[in-house]
Amino acid sequence: MKFDTVIIGGGLAGLVAGISLQRKGQSTAIVSTGQNALHFFSGSFESMQEAPPEMLSVFGDAGIRLHYQEGVRLMPLGSFRPSCLSLEDISLFSSPQFARKVLVVNFMGYHDFFSSFLAEGLEKQGMQCRIRLLNLPELEKLEQSPSEMRSVQIARTMDRIWEKVVQEVRVLLKDEDTVVLPQVFGLQDTSVPGRIKQGIPAQVVFCGTQPPSVPGIRTQMLLKRRYEVLGGTYLMGDEAVEAHVHEARVHSIRTRNLDSHYLEAGHFILATGGLFSKGLRSNPFSIFEPVFGLDVDYNPDRNAWYDKNFAADQPYMAYGVKTDATLHALSGGIPFENLFAIGSVLGQTHPELGQAGGLAVRSALEVVDQIMK
Amino acid sequence: MNANEFDVIIIGGGITGAGTQRDCAMRGLRTLLVERSDIATGATGRNHGLLHSGARYAVNDPESARECIEENMILRRIAAHCIDETDGLFITLPEDDLAYQARFVEACKRAGIAAEVIDPSEARRLEPSVNPELIGAVKVPDGSVDPFRLCAANMLDAKLHGGQVRLYTEVTGFIREGNTLKGIHTRHLQSGEEADFYAPVIVNACGIWGHHIAEMAGIKIGMYPAKGALLIFAHRVNNVVINRCRKPSNADILVPGDTVCVIGTTSTHIPFEECDNVAVTPDEVNLLITEGVKLAPSLSSTRILRAYAGVRPLVSADDDPTGRNISRGIVCLDHEVRDGLKGFVTITGGKLMTYRLMAEMATDLVCKKLGVDKACETAATPLPGSEESSYEAVAKKIWEAPSTAQKAMASRLGTRASRIRNNTPYDDALICECEEVSVGEINAAIEQMDVSTLTDLRRRTRIGMGTCQGEFCACRAASLLAKAHGCVEKERADLANFLNERWKGNYPISWGDTLREAEYTQWVYKHVLGL
Amino acid sequence: MKLQEITQSKYNFEECMKCTVCTAYCPVLQVNPLYPGPKQAGPDGERLRLKDPYFFNYALKYCLNCKRCEVACPSGVNVADLIQAARIKYEHTQPKLRDQILASTDFMGKLARPFAPIVNRVTGLGITKTALDAMLKIDRQRTFPKYSASSFEFWLRHREKEQSAFPEKVAYFHGCYVNYNYPKLGKDLVKVLNALGVGVELLEKEKCCGIAMITNGMSDKATRNAVHNVEVLRKAVVDKGLKVVTTSSTCSLTLRDEYPHLLNVDNADVRDSILVASRFIFEKLEKGATLKFRPDFHRKIAYHTPCHMEKMGWGVFSEKLLRMIPGVEFTLLDSACCGIAGTYGFKKENYAASQAIGAPLFDQIRSVNPDLVACDCETCKWQIEMSTGYPVANPISILADALETEK
Repeated sequence: MKFDTVIIGGGLAGLVAGISLQRKGQSTAIVSTGQNALHFFSGSFESMQEAPPEMLSVFGDAGIRLHYQEGVRLMPLGSFRPSCLSLEDISLFSSPQFARKVLVVNFMGYHDFFSSFLAEGLEKQGMQCRIRLLNLPELEKLEQSPSEMRSVQIARTMDRIWEKVVQEVRVLLKDEDTVVLPQVFGLQDTSVPGRIKQGIPAQVVFCGTQPPSVPGIRTQMLLKRRYEVLGGTYLMGDEAVEAHVHEARVHSIRTRNLDSHYLEAGHFILATGGLFSKGLRSNPFSIFEPVFGLDVDYNPDRNAWYDKNFAADQPYMAYGVKTDATLHALSGGIPFENLFAIGSVLGQTHPELGQAGGLAVRSALEVVDQIMK
Repeated sequence: MNANEFDVIIIGGGITGAGTQRDCAMRGLRTLLVERSDIATGATGRNHGLLHSGARYAVNDPESARECIEENMILRRIAAHCIDETDGLFITLPEDDLAYQARFVEACKRAGIAAEVIDPSEARRLEPSVNPELIGAVKVPDGSVDPFRLCAANMLDAKLHGGQVRLYTEVTGFIREGNTLKGIHTRHLQSGEEADFYAPVIVNACGIWGHHIAEMAGIKIGMYPAKGALLIFAHRVNNVVINRCRKPSNADILVPGDTVCVIGTTSTHIPFEECDNVAVTPDEVNLLITEGVKLAPSLSSTRILRAYAGVRPLVSADDDPTGRNISRGIVCLDHEVRDGLKGFVTITGGKLMTYRLMAEMATDLVCKKLGVDKACETAATPLPGSEESSYEAVAKKIWEAPSTAQKAMASRLGTRASRIRNNTPYDDALICECEEVSVGEINAAIEQMDVSTLTDLRRRTRIGMGTCQGEFCACRAASLLAKAHGCVEKERADLANFLNERWKGNYPISWGDTLREAEYTQWVYKHVLGL
Repeated sequence: MKLQEITQSKYNFEECMKCTVCTAYCPVLQVNPLYPGPKQAGPDGERLRLKDPYFFNYALKYCLNCKRCEVACPSGVNVADLIQAARIKYEHTQPKLRDQILASTDFMGKLARPFAPIVNRVTGLGITKTALDAMLKIDRQRTFPKYSASSFEFWLRHREKEQSAFPEKVAYFHGCYVNYNYPKLGKDLVKVLNALGVGVELLEKEKCCGIAMITNGMSDKATRNAVHNVEVLRKAVVDKGLKVVTTSSTCSLTLRDEYPHLLNVDNADVRDSILVASRFIFEKLEKGATLKFRPDFHRKIAYHTPCHMEKMGWGVFSEKLLRMIPGVEFTLLDSACCGIAGTYGFKKENYAASQAIGAPLFDQIRSVNPDLVACDCETCKWQIEMSTGYPVANPISILADALETEK
């Protein structure tokens, strides 16, 4: 099968590149080894100031609304983190003292929303906090399963019964000016978070849960749908297993599912993510990039990969494939003419492009510009 | 008698201390156990968890071998819920001397160990993961034992017999009158609270740290710290213990324990200063893998979960630099006889396997000193939880159609699982999904088993011991602990400590799936949850 | 140390990072709290089962074997294989008579075919449905697939000469459905392949692929079928050098992957030659063959990717073929399980769950309002037709319909 560009990796970076290229008239395919790190997305594009216009178009057309405010957001364990550009349902505050009195609401039997940690974090900032549990008969079915009171399953129910949550919270609300709810709303119906905010006569803050991330999964679904509407070919659950390279050009790749049916393209983008996503792999002797055997920037001494303190910045998190200044991937020090690397395969943190969501979007748009030149 | 006065004080919350407290308490003594950390934090929780048949010692140390097989049979009766009756193989590989096998079997027989030579093909059938190139095999009654569960059950029984336990309580000095010890000064390491306790007899059951305790009393015991490193693999590769049939050496035992298997060990002499913080070196990791693969080749492609090391409390008899030729026999010292210091007893040496016998010896001595004439009953009385012979029998009595999680709980708690049966769906919810530990089980542990940190909770329930190493369950369990203790701020620090403690066992083997899991855990706690 | 270069366990269960992504895509979890879910039933449960088979949980029977957990898994864990393999290994209960009947698609087909008109009338009767519901717990709301009076094999055997005249040939694994219930699909395939200059022949004597037996606890029977089928596939592939095509995504997946993964039947020498027909046709067209389409063919088509097509990753071939037809207005439906999962949805105890699983797909079909729903799986076809009223056709039949016939 022939395409203008084949993208390996269907997470945030791959999807943004794919949608942008389709918008610009290219035919593309995305090869994705299952679902991706968007399922653990915090909802904020860390290290990103304003959204570039192309990003706004890509997200806007997919039905994903973004907002921007320099400040902080509330983290699930009660701390605050500097944040700017975020999904619309992530509340951004100019300072951690965003309320006087707060009502933290959780569901009975739901262990992935850390209401006591949240309350303690808010109290530390001088806010008064009250925690209340909702006991909704609609969640009974989930409660019967010892393992499935999870964010996504609750969110599916909430798409149907969110109005009831609004009613119950209104009953609970006394003199609090702010309500904190778990981020389990608007999985399918994206209007729900906004309607909850309208329905509750107080400031409503949605705070994250243990993954999977509901806003993250929603973002993945909407971007993928948009990509497919634009005619993109998303090969879910497939994996690039071999590349066919001639001199400094990639001619085609072989995938596990399509096997002898190679994917050919003029350009290739590697967006396979970091170690977790297997974009980089490791054994006791090396860290390597498995599809093209690209150069990886890492310390060959295994004992230098880690810091013994878990909380410290871990050296391995910065390891990634080497590229030239225009993100052409390097092999043996020589850049490929038509292979680019974007997203976390460049390292979880990148000196110029930032980290996580910011790194993914910035590098994707940069490469789209390169390809369209 | 005042509340701070006892018949006997036991220092050390390892298996020896817990066993001694149980025995003393069962003989009617008022007991106090003090431990500066949590239960089973020393050598007790840092070994293979092998229920020795004694075969390993048969050739070189017949006395230890006999003690092992006798205690082995006793533990099967009294500690059923801590024990897995797996059997063991001693295999001869082409590089080994097959002539050793005959000597070995003969020595086993002399020690009373049922050792049966079997055909290599039969060995492969019994344990499909065994190195298929083996040229000889002997079947022995090895097994595995969960040291945390065993230690907790002993302590629980001591408490049921009126014993008191003070964890995180350090002995800062002895109260002494002339040549007699009268009591101990202590400090609680978390609250800083100081307290004195009195008893006519004080038992030093501190393993390798017993060296310091003895020094504090002005006594020198020639102890010998020998570090042993081990690796935990992420699932059970073998269901039968695999040993090498040769002179005991490095990394020649692979033990299946609960949901994992453990290869070990190495033996290195270390200075006393390092006993509190032993780390596994890359060379040890390499050695353990290379040797382990000879026992079960599939280990070469099995995920490694953790690396850890313990310090054997050997009492040195000579200057052997390897520490292997020192007897692992039990050392019970009456310091009145040995050093002229009254009211002080040291029980050390020995093994996890022979803890009960050590406890019996120490208790006999304590009773003699106190003039108490009561026979030891620990060999015949099941530990709390061990009243049924198998977890299948336990689960069958409690539930009509037990779920996997309920079966797992029965396998950990034994008959005590019945106390957590009438729970709501909320109590059935799983906190740790790898090991299937429920809210009910965690709350019961917090209420009944002296839990102050997540790591303590781990030792009592197995949370965080599974594949994800706490990534998933740590923050959930922290919420429960914060609620029980009414303090979130402390719990936040505890959560960070717990993750760091898990990481300590992961970084020596941080590659492949272990490194992937570490990256994921880092990501979730730092960037998603905001710890 | 030249060890530990890769860590790999059977079905890769150790590569599970406990990220829970699979649980977000499991269709059963959304409707049935009794099912432990792919993470617990799969990699988590496996560690306990390796400790002691006693930890096996009979609730694993609620798994649909749709494989969506595997498609979603970021770590490449074969979650559904783990679950089905555990069932085969540890589930020691005799399947119910009802399950045996449902699983024996080829035996039932042979039995019913000679009496097809009567059988079809009888199974369509309210009283029969009531009886089946009461006695066998086959849900009365189900529409039974009709049996055909004449088998596809019979039809094709009469055209052997004509087919052998083509310069190129393929073997066709038609499966039970085409043979006994719906020979028209087989005939459509022959029409399309003939138009490409390819003749169609039967395998020496195929048996049911066995998927229904695997999921209904009859793995011994399934293994016997697998051994037989691999033998006849070998005769076509190795001896004659033919490709083998199917018109059922599930038969394809079973022959290619379930045989080695679940039944331990080695098919390495034939696996890569077994293709869903749409892939074979797409590849012919890509290499320069052409098809001529009717100018008056106009259809609004919504394509549903069956679970096993999604697992194989071949939905793209059907999609691209349909988009190739000039008069087709194409919509790709969100990939989601329709809820039938072979025999699962026929069972009375699963009916409600089955319909609830399919509901989002049915809603999307209604909102697209196509002339036709396209999909490569016969059981999806029954489910979608029964639940939405929209007609469903295999892409091959749509292609056959759209062809310009020279007469």
